[in-house]
Amino acid sequence: MFSPPVNRLITELARLPGIGQRTAQRLAFHILRTPEEEALALADAIREVKEKVGHCEVCFNLAVGPRCRICEDERRSPELICVVEEPSDVIPIERTHEWGGRYHVLGGALSPIDGVDPEDLRIAELLTRLDDGDAREVVVATNATTTGEATALYLADAIRERTPQVTVTRLASGLPVGADLEYADEITLGKALQGRHAL
Amino acid sequence: MPATFQTEAVVLRSIRYSEADRVLHLYSRERGRIGAIAKGVRRVKSRFGGRLEPLFRVDLLLHEGRGELYTVTSAETVDPHPSLRERRDAIERATQACDAVLRLLDSQEPNRAAYNLLCRELRILDGDPAAASRAQALAFRLKLLLAAGFAPELAACASCGEREHLSAFSASAGGVVCPGCEAGSFPLGSEAHAFLVESLGRSLAEAPSASDRALGQADRAIAETLEHHAHVRLRRVA
Ligand SMILES: [Zn+2]
Ligand SMILES: [Zn+2]
Repeated sequence: MFSPPVNRLITELARLPGIGQRTAQRLAFHILRTPEEEALALADAIREVKEKVGHCEVCFNLAVGPRCRICEDERRSPELICVVEEPSDVIPIERTHEWGGRYHVLGGALSPIDGVDPEDLRIAELLTRLDDGDAREVVVATNATTTGEATALYLADAIRERTPQVTVTRLASGLPVGADLEYADEITLGKALQGRHAL
Repeated sequence: MPATFQTEAVVLRSIRYSEADRVLHLYSRERGRIGAIAKGVRRVKSRFGGRLEPLFRVDLLLHEGRGELYTVTSAETVDPHPSLRERRDAIERATQACDAVLRLLDSQEPNRAAYNLLCRELRILDGDPAAASRAQALAFRLKLLLAAGFAPELAACASCGEREHLSAFSASAGGVVCPGCEAGSFPLGSEAHAFLVESLGRSLAEAPSASDRALGQADRAIAETLEHHAHVRLRRVA
């Protein structure tokens, strides 16, 4: 229907998450209308990020160069490792200013139903890191989803077996601030009750 | 057809979609395998809470849109299965059970027997830590085959009807076979044969156990039946 270059752009855009054919078309026409330098700036930003940003060789967080800023920061304790699913999960934890340790990014969560097995995640790398590192505690901060829980249970077993001196902990769960009690599901509310504290 | 309908369902699988939504694969009591979109469910303040996570059994109100996906308008918990999420073997077996249902029952035809079986399996895994065994998982799979209409012949030779000396299994013949009909079969010992028969005969909560060797043969019989008749390949039950 369109000329080959336009089709190619639409096809590429439609591969982005959450973008269907129709939105891809709209974006493509938007790009065709924008001034050349603006459109090329986008193309350039994509190229630059792909050329310069990779994964940290230690923790697999995003990094410019071989190691990420957190692994290079001497003030961050190597005794504490927080395990997350994706690099994007590091950001909200950093924003709390509550974490002085380091990270390990798995690259997803275990989900046999979607074909994601332990070998597909950076679990072996985590275990090796624990073997020869100074880690004392691993905080499993995978999502509070069914796949996140399955991953946490798997990791706890694997770490206990290989490096029993390392403590494995899980993020607490309970009611989100600002949420109504009546919308809380039974598991969240049950855990909130279990984790109650004196006032 | 009504624009909105109510059904009970088990959440089999959940896929992130768009900014804050999820696409759910559901096995429903009223309409079999269906897909639905849960809007805003990934937001911390979503009124769905965690109710639409896999392994939840829920009562849903679904809205029929123009596309293939329904939209979830409300969700009430029937059973959250809280304990099975705290044990690795139980959560793995439960996920296996959902995976089997997802692959084997892919039509929008309701199948009440299969639905009840899945609910019972999750209930058992939630209630009894010892239930997360290989034998139990195989018994579930075999019963699921029966519910889906693919149960193998176990009482007589699937080829000639002979009732004695049934010591091999042939998926292409459709069940156990006698020595005269054993082309394309593999040996199935009497213990494995008994395991299969008893698994079908007993309730899921009283699933029989057997030696690893027998379970290995039973697993193969179930897997080959699935592949040959349902064209479904499942991971073996380890
Ligand atoms: Zn790093
Ligand atoms: Zn025969």
